Amino acid sequence: MTAPPDDCLARNEWICGEYLSTRRHILLDAVAQHLQLTAVSVLFGLAVAVPLAVLARRWGLAAGPVLAATTVLYTVPSLAMFSLLLPVYGLSAALVVAGLVLYSLTLLVRNILAGLRAVPEETRQAARGMGYGPVRLLLTVELPLALPAGMAGLRIATVSAVSLVTVGAIVGFGGLGNLIYAGMNTYFKAQVLTASVLCVVIAVAADLLLLAVQRLMTPWTRAGRG
Amino acid sequence: MLTGAFFLLAGCATGPSLENRGSVTAPPGDSRHLVVGSAGFTESDLLAQMYALLLKQAGYKTSMITVANRELYEPALESGQIDVVPEYAATFADWLNAKTHGADARPVGSPDLGTTMTALRALATPRGLTVLDPGRAVDQNAFAVSAAYAREHHLKTLGDLGRSGLPVRLAAGDECVQRPYCEPGLKKTYGIDVVAVDPKGVGTTQAKQAVRSGRDQMVLTTTTDATLDEFGLVLLDDDKHLQNADYIVPVVNRSRAGGEGVTKALGKLNDVLTTADLASLNRQVDSWRRLPEDVARTYLRDKGLLT
Repeated sequence: MTAPPDDCLARNEWICGEYLSTRRHILLDAVAQHLQLTAVSVLFGLAVAVPLAVLARRWGLAAGPVLAATTVLYTVPSLAMFSLLLPVYGLSAALVVAGLVLYSLTLLVRNILAGLRAVPEETRQAARGMGYGPVRLLLTVELPLALPAGMAGLRIATVSAVSLVTVGAIVGFGGLGNLIYAGMNTYFKAQVLTASVLCVVIAVAADLLLLAVQRLMTPWTRAGRG
Repeated sequence: MLTGAFFLLAGCATGPSLENRGSVTAPPGDSRHLVVGSAGFTESDLLAQMYALLLKQAGYKTSMITVANRELYEPALESGQIDVVPEYAATFADWLNAKTHGADARPVGSPDLGTTMTALRALATPRGLTVLDPGRAVDQNAFAVSAAYAREHHLKTLGDLGRSGLPVRLAAGDECVQRPYCEPGLKKTYGIDVVAVDPKGVGTTQAKQAVRSGRDQMVLTTTTDATLDEFGLVLLDDDKHLQNADYIVPVVNRSRAGGEGVTKALGKLNDVLTTADLASLNRQVDSWRRLPEDVARTYLRDKGLLT
């Protein structure tokens, strides 16, 4: 029986340089997986949410059911969600992405719809008066004006996806969640803290990035103030 | 509770469907790329890493996946998404039994290894799973007392404790009052005077601290627990064989990894890995915070199983 090594890993300290140096690859892989799962989920979510919101805006009757359905999805506990999707997707990254897409729908559909509804009727009539057809009206007038509200939804959905990805650890695809989960089981302080801090950093960075994108895409909101 | 029900639902929905029942009776397969599953706790990680290293040495390509619990990885093992997992014979037999015959079915795991393996294989084979031979390592429930207490009352076995007539407060999980291997068994088989069960969890730090401080006299933990020394605890022998035969066994998907190659590669570990070895490996990961992969590789190299 050899003596235990005396380093911050063995002493189980919260902040541990050796942890960072010995597990750099593991941390980088986890961050990459985390970013990938978040990005793919949010993009898929957006691709589904925009048509749903437009549909709900066009046909008032559809709004109730669409909002109700996406809200109910949001209330399913994440552990249960992944278990229910398991027979469909098996143990794969697609399982986690599918779950996250369903969760992002509530936030995205509601916000995009609110944005579309906030477009003033006068604006729409003016566009129609200038000979805009329904498609052109949607693409060049309604959607751009709905951008601020939509982007607000996208930012919330992205930040919440960053944190929900961690639950994917139960099927082995949780990005940094894999490390947090394993660390909690063994009271591995450095691992839990490092992975959690990285999660927060990713969430803040993603939020700031989207904020910058929003400012670039909606120059008129600043011009008005300036 | 609700989550549990969902897990069960998910579990029932998979498994070999009628179309691929053939996988159960087809000859054992020998896929070249194998996925080794780990249940996410240290010992499971270590065993999975050792399996992966041994398989790689035997010429297989391997990848690892960590899945939180049996409700999720067992169906994946049946369907061939996972090919190999480390399991505990009696626990897995009881789990499969509950899955096959309902939660109220009479337990089939027993203290006898032969009986347990027969029951386990009878349950696993129809699901397309092959249970390989058990080795020497056992991760059973075990009871520990403080070394000073054992010295004072001349205790080496649970039988000694029963004969001593000492009142015992037991630190264990709250399910201990019902499980036959725990409070009921201690009372009936050993005649131990369990005055109370302190629900501090199985082998948790708090439970061991309670025994060290003298608040409780005995703690329920496992035979591969490597932290007993740190708390000044010693295990009492299960001399009347109350505990089930939780020998470590590799379970494989028959149609993908049921062939001779896998059996031979993993069988190498059987004569080598002991319960004490496993406890020491657990300590290197849990207390020293080494990486399971490094610990597993060093161990196999030291034992000459890996070149």
